[in-house]
Amino acid sequence: MKLTFLYNPVCSIQRVKCKLLVVMKLTAILLLIGTMHLSAASYSQSVTVSRKNTTLETVFKEIKRQTGYLFFYSGQVNLNKPLNVELKNVPLEEALKACLADQNLTYNIVDKTIVIRNKQTGAAQQMAVVTGKVTDAKTGEPIPGVSIYLKSDPNKRMNSTNQGEFGMDVNPEDILVFSYVGYKTKEVKVGNSKTLSVALEEEVNQMSDVVITGYQTIKRESFTGNAVTMTGEQLKKINPQNLLASIGAYDPSFKIVQNNLVGSNPNRLPSINVRGSSALPSGDSEVLRRDDFTSGTNMPAFILDGYEVNVQKVFDLDVNRIETVTLLKDAAATAIYGSRAANGVLVITTRAPKEGKLRIDYNYELNVTGADLSGYQVLNAKEKMEYELQAGLYNGGYDDQPQDYLTELYYHNYKNVVGGVDTYWLSQPVRTTAGQKHSINLEGGSDVFRYGVDVRYQTRPGVMKGSSRDQYSGGMNFIYNRGKFQFRNELTVTQVKAIESPYGDFKNYVRMNPYYPMMDASGRYPQLVDAWRSRDQISYKYVYNPLYDAQLSSFNKNGYTEIIDNLSGELEVAKDLKLRAQMSLTTRSLTEDKFLSPLNSKFYEYTPDKTDEKGEYYNGQRKETFWDGNVRMNWLKQLGGSYFNVLALVNVRSEVKDGKDFTAIGFANDRFTSIGFAKGYAEDGKPNSQYEQSRLFGSLLSANYSFQNKYLADATVRVDGSSKFGVDNKLAPFWSLGAGWNVHNEEFLKGNSIISQLRLKVTTGLTGSVEFSPYLSRTTYQYNTGNWYSSGIGAVVDNFGNQNLSWQKTQMTDFSIDLSLFKDRLTLLPRIYRKFTKDILADITLPPSTGFLSYKENLGDMENKGAELAIRWEALRKQDFSINLNGSFVSNRNKILRISNSLKKYEDRANDLQTKPEAEDGFKGIPLLRYREGQSINTIYGVRSLGIDPENGRELYLKRDGTLTYDYDVRDVVPIGNPDPKVEGSFGASFRYKRWNLFTNFRTYFGGETYNLTLVQRVENADAKYNVDRRVFEQKWKQSGDHVFYKNIADLGTTDVNSRFIQDDNLLNLETVQLTYDLDPKIAKRLSMSNLNFTLTANDVVRWSSIKEERGIDYPFARSITFGIRAAF
Amino acid sequence: MNKTLLIGLILLSGLFSSCKKWLDVQPESEIAEPVLFSTEAGFMEAINGVYNKSNTEELYGKELTFGTPEALAQNYSMRDDGQDYRQTTLYNYNHDEFIKRKDKIWAGLYSAIVNCNLILLNVDAKKNVFTGVNYQIVKGEALALRAYMHFDLLRLFAPSYLSGAAAQGIPYSTRYTKDPTPMSTVSAVMDSLVRDLEAAKQLLAVDPIRNAGYKVGYPTVKDTTLTTEERSPVLFLQNRRHRLNYFAVCGTLARVYLYKNDKANALLNAKEVIDSKKFPWTAKEDFSAFDESKKDRILYKELVFGWYIPSMAKNIKERWFQTGVNGLHLISDAGDYIYEKLTAGAFDARYKYFLSKSSTQSSTFFEIVKYRRNSIDQGVNSNLHYLMAPAIRLSEMYYIAAEASFQSSPADAYAYLNQVRLQRQIEDKLPLGNEEEFLKELIKDARKETLAEGQLFYMYKRLNRGIVGQTGAIIPASNKIFVLPLPNDEIVYGGR
Repeated sequence: MKLTFLYNPVCSIQRVKCKLLVVMKLTAILLLIGTMHLSAASYSQSVTVSRKNTTLETVFKEIKRQTGYLFFYSGQVNLNKPLNVELKNVPLEEALKACLADQNLTYNIVDKTIVIRNKQTGAAQQMAVVTGKVTDAKTGEPIPGVSIYLKSDPNKRMNSTNQGEFGMDVNPEDILVFSYVGYKTKEVKVGNSKTLSVALEEEVNQMSDVVITGYQTIKRESFTGNAVTMTGEQLKKINPQNLLASIGAYDPSFKIVQNNLVGSNPNRLPSINVRGSSALPSGDSEVLRRDDFTSGTNMPAFILDGYEVNVQKVFDLDVNRIETVTLLKDAAATAIYGSRAANGVLVITTRAPKEGKLRIDYNYELNVTGADLSGYQVLNAKEKMEYELQAGLYNGGYDDQPQDYLTELYYHNYKNVVGGVDTYWLSQPVRTTAGQKHSINLEGGSDVFRYGVDVRYQTRPGVMKGSSRDQYSGGMNFIYNRGKFQFRNELTVTQVKAIESPYGDFKNYVRMNPYYPMMDASGRYPQLVDAWRSRDQISYKYVYNPLYDAQLSSFNKNGYTEIIDNLSGELEVAKDLKLRAQMSLTTRSLTEDKFLSPLNSKFYEYTPDKTDEKGEYYNGQRKETFWDGNVRMNWLKQLGGSYFNVLALVNVRSEVKDGKDFTAIGFANDRFTSIGFAKGYAEDGKPNSQYEQSRLFGSLLSANYSFQNKYLADATVRVDGSSKFGVDNKLAPFWSLGAGWNVHNEEFLKGNSIISQLRLKVTTGLTGSVEFSPYLSRTTYQYNTGNWYSSGIGAVVDNFGNQNLSWQKTQMTDFSIDLSLFKDRLTLLPRIYRKFTKDILADITLPPSTGFLSYKENLGDMENKGAELAIRWEALRKQDFSINLNGSFVSNRNKILRISNSLKKYEDRANDLQTKPEAEDGFKGIPLLRYREGQSINTIYGVRSLGIDPENGRELYLKRDGTLTYDYDVRDVVPIGNPDPKVEGSFGASFRYKRWNLFTNFRTYFGGETYNLTLVQRVENADAKYNVDRRVFEQKWKQSGDHVFYKNIADLGTTDVNSRFIQDDNLLNLETVQLTYDLDPKIAKRLSMSNLNFTLTANDVVRWSSIKEERGIDYPFARSITFGIRAAF
Repeated sequence: MNKTLLIGLILLSGLFSSCKKWLDVQPESEIAEPVLFSTEAGFMEAINGVYNKSNTEELYGKELTFGTPEALAQNYSMRDDGQDYRQTTLYNYNHDEFIKRKDKIWAGLYSAIVNCNLILLNVDAKKNVFTGVNYQIVKGEALALRAYMHFDLLRLFAPSYLSGAAAQGIPYSTRYTKDPTPMSTVSAVMDSLVRDLEAAKQLLAVDPIRNAGYKVGYPTVKDTTLTTEERSPVLFLQNRRHRLNYFAVCGTLARVYLYKNDKANALLNAKEVIDSKKFPWTAKEDFSAFDESKKDRILYKELVFGWYIPSMAKNIKERWFQTGVNGLHLISDAGDYIYEKLTAGAFDARYKYFLSKSSTQSSTFFEIVKYRRNSIDQGVNSNLHYLMAPAIRLSEMYYIAAEASFQSSPADAYAYLNQVRLQRQIEDKLPLGNEEEFLKELIKDARKETLAEGQLFYMYKRLNRGIVGQTGAIIPASNKIFVLPLPNDEIVYGGR
């Protein structure tokens, strides 16, 4: 093949040949990537040829044989002129020069390929020297090191001097190209001038010039919607491990709901809302704890390369694949997504391969994480013993036990303390661990055919021993571009393996007494560490060693394999009209396996007749198939001063989820963990299945218009149909309107030295949300498979299908200003908004004589009002040194305007549980979520407290009618605190010194309140039988006249939820510190790399909080340091 | 380009028109109403569903059979109160547990009723999917079930016909809607009941139970001259007595007419059941068999209708009728009083076989063993018959016939009553007496017969008579006792 190539140039058109060259190279590289280097090394770089009266063709053949270099030339090149060659061990270049000296030919070497072409004749006469200076268009300062070359002959190049000066031999018709990193490339025709002064405009991060809405790309200058664009690079800077956290730090209106229970468990998906919450939980569900709010109904829609994905996909996405992330917030920006848009839309685009020669990007990250236990302050053995004495644990009559038993117990425990047992249980289940990530990306190709391949391997061990999330993914991406037609296919395969820690909940370790030894004398973990005798003097309450359970072969793992293929084609129907069709198919198969060893403490107290029922295995499988397709027309046209960008689209989506699961029990021993060893199903156990299917159909018309770049308008109409809607309500219309004014383009501001950009925008629109299970709108029958009647199986209706069920509607109105000052060095982006959600889906309680207790109806209104401010300031910009500051602040106020009757019922149930102790499945002492009209959805409810009465140590409450009482009454429950912070934000600075970059980012919120559960559960109500917070030694009420915070020390009851424990919740967290070093490209080149950089990132470095509480109850929070290398070849 | 656009537009409009159909997604692990009611099997499943819904713990599986109404009739002793019925026997209608049970009865019965209504709303339009007698069976049973449950609701939550025919009764629900059905007066409900039941009786005239070949007997007996109840090749047509069959509708009608004080019609319907001779009296050797597995404690063959409840076997044994004083039981004085130990009780088989004397260190008492099984295995083989919750039995038809004929012929009335007593091995015939004496004897016998079957309370209420306590003390009749309060949700959300 190579030979054919060498001797018979396939085509005489230069361009086509170049293309072939690339294809050739691609094939070669792909096939021989490994061997190529080796074989090249065996060729010599010097040439020995001795021929008389030969032709160039023969000589080239010889050189190729000796060096391995290929030759390319067009048909115009005459190689048959006779010549004599006498070369002996001459370097290649010299040899070529010698050969071509009299041939009127010239050459250049491109990557082991020698291109031969005719020397341009007569050029020499017209050559003239042109000199000039390159400056920054804005500052006027000279730019050194600008790459300047001839467009016709890119080999003829030079760099500008330190003073920005240059000089070059050129023809008048030549075009000079000026390019420099960070500036827009500029082409200048030489003409007859002898000096040129070239001003380069700074490239204001290309991506921020346009808004990618997922269906189209709109110039930011003419867009009225509110969209925040982040590049993958920027996000990686903030947190290389957690993409969603980085987005939240970049724009705080994208809020990740803190979950104090699950901490930094790598396997827990976060709950997110954008611009406040807009959904109510359904009324008949169980009462919700305030700190365990994991409802998914507020999630924004995630759009990846034009099709919808779930949060899990984003969570497991390789950040290196991301080109940009755009957060669409207001109606004008989101309305194109219609029924999915109400909670905001996050649009992610992945990197499309770039043309050019093969480029390899390699990323390595080493991520070291350690548990952050700073919130935990527990007692050591000696202190604990002292506390137990103080708490009267060994005083006669405690728990109805006789004194001699208690004395014996005391000495039994005291013996351990004296014996030096002081176990720090907290450190047992946690570890400092290192995760790795390798990510390789190959790309290249011509403008006709481009390809990209990426592979990732990432391990994410968690700080609890044994927990991990390992992600593997691979992708292939190619683009074929043929004139008016473009075709792209992207195939991604992802595999995720998640393992939960066998160590169980972290809280089990926190409460263990330090005087319990964790190992016995022989080094084994005992199963029982203690047993408290009950009041009946017969039975015992056992304290199990959580470490014993951790050593067993129990496991809890899940994972999935996902294949996504995304195929799209684009056709330029006419000059201004593009037709694009896209189709994506996702299949995901998920598995879950949980095995609980028969030796686990859960089965310890099984009676002898249930011995064969110990051990438990749960297996679940789910298959998900989604497809999403759209066809869209995009019309871009400039007519006079008017500029149109019109989009018409049809979108269909189908989701099928098919799951099966079952539980088996009865395992013989700890070794046989396979499900085949199970004895059978659990009592009344049977296999379960869930099958869910839903479909969506949408059509859209959207237009963006600007007049003379001064007056802007956006309008969108979308009609969505969803199978989830009621039969009578299948089609839902959504719309948005926006208007804007580019004041800076008006005559009176032209040339203004202070204001460089001033844009006013107002938008409004209606969007929706259909986050509910697919069959709510139908009357469905359920089969009673477990209970046949004597005359056959029965089917019973189990819901009232509300045929009128419709979507939640959110009316959003935004007003915003884009202001840039001092040549864009200071940018201020203030926005205010109101988000009014009506027809929230809620349970409506029915009179039971209808046959149903409740049904779903659209009833409930909620309002979120807020302001956002983003600031960017280029404080200092010098050649070697620059400082940039930025900040982004949000304030959101949530208010429930209308709720359904069933939430009032929910309140009754909450009241009931609020007075029941935890032992009876109640929530005494734990604030519950409640909903009242006029309050924020996050409001904390309890009884107002005036503190501890110094007289008698009892808590003094304020009743609803204003009178005082000692008796807690749930009817006096009122709002006692609002956790919504007044301001929430993130801010930071980046410093650059030569090739060093330092980036910091802080997160803060203040003005909110919280209920300090640690003070309640672990101090005030501390259970003296278990380990407690150090603050238990703080003063409690002992005698009349004590002015103290805590109640009577003798009161062992549970304190009810009251305002005494409401504390101001302010936080400043140094979220990111990152240091980057870019290796000098010259040095990198020597290492045969085009780019090499090192980063060191620390996340969650320091935290200052006004609240001292235990954080991460079931799983601790983590701090991490990431070391990264990025190399491009 | 024009061509492309045209094709595009045609495709688009095609998409739009098929969109509605495409969005009509059918669930798979559950089944949509129109899909279920597109086949005969679907209707059968829906009917079975109503029975399924009714034989749960909240309804006839426990509560309405041997739960709340039985406690209200003072048929259990409450010394240890292991099942939390003491407050119910004290008529404390504010007690949490009582409220929970009563609310579940209300909600559960209406939920079963809505299942009937959905069948009735669909059955006529789909008449063509049925074969044989199935249309009549499905529609007839749906009507009868709807009436049967409304009648129990009325008997619990409304004043009796005797004391307040014009008083507010209950909503008579015939629709499938989220809007509350308005309340009807007691007499209006009675009219609806009669209408539904008479319609059901007409439809069920084709009920296979009326065929001469349909022999009632024990399922464990395989001799087809003795039983053919499980001979039908169609499961749906087997065990007619487990469902509201033709005679069960007659029995219900007899009950309803008597409640309405329409004695002529009550007698007519009761006699139709009695005269059919379909339901043989239980043989002495079956009632008294020593071998547990050969024993019939619930007088299975006499059941005109009963709920099939094998899934309750475990709870009956281990919870509700557990051995010891924590189960539902009668202290020995109460048992002796109810069964007249010193007189008729000496012979009464019911005294011997419904109760079982037991004792703890501190007391002797009777365990109620009517529902005791040889084993909790759900199979039939543990006893002669399935575990059933009796709903209508032959003896009740005799009681109704007796009561309905007393005014015209006291001799007939006593004959009916004595017939029941005779079958229970009390050979002494009761001497003729006046109406009060007759009713006293009737109630006494009914109490013995239907112990733990949930019928006695309705009898006191229908007659507006004082409830006889465990050892004879009378609790005066009053609507405060006889009328259970409506559930709060019904009052608040239904605007009652």
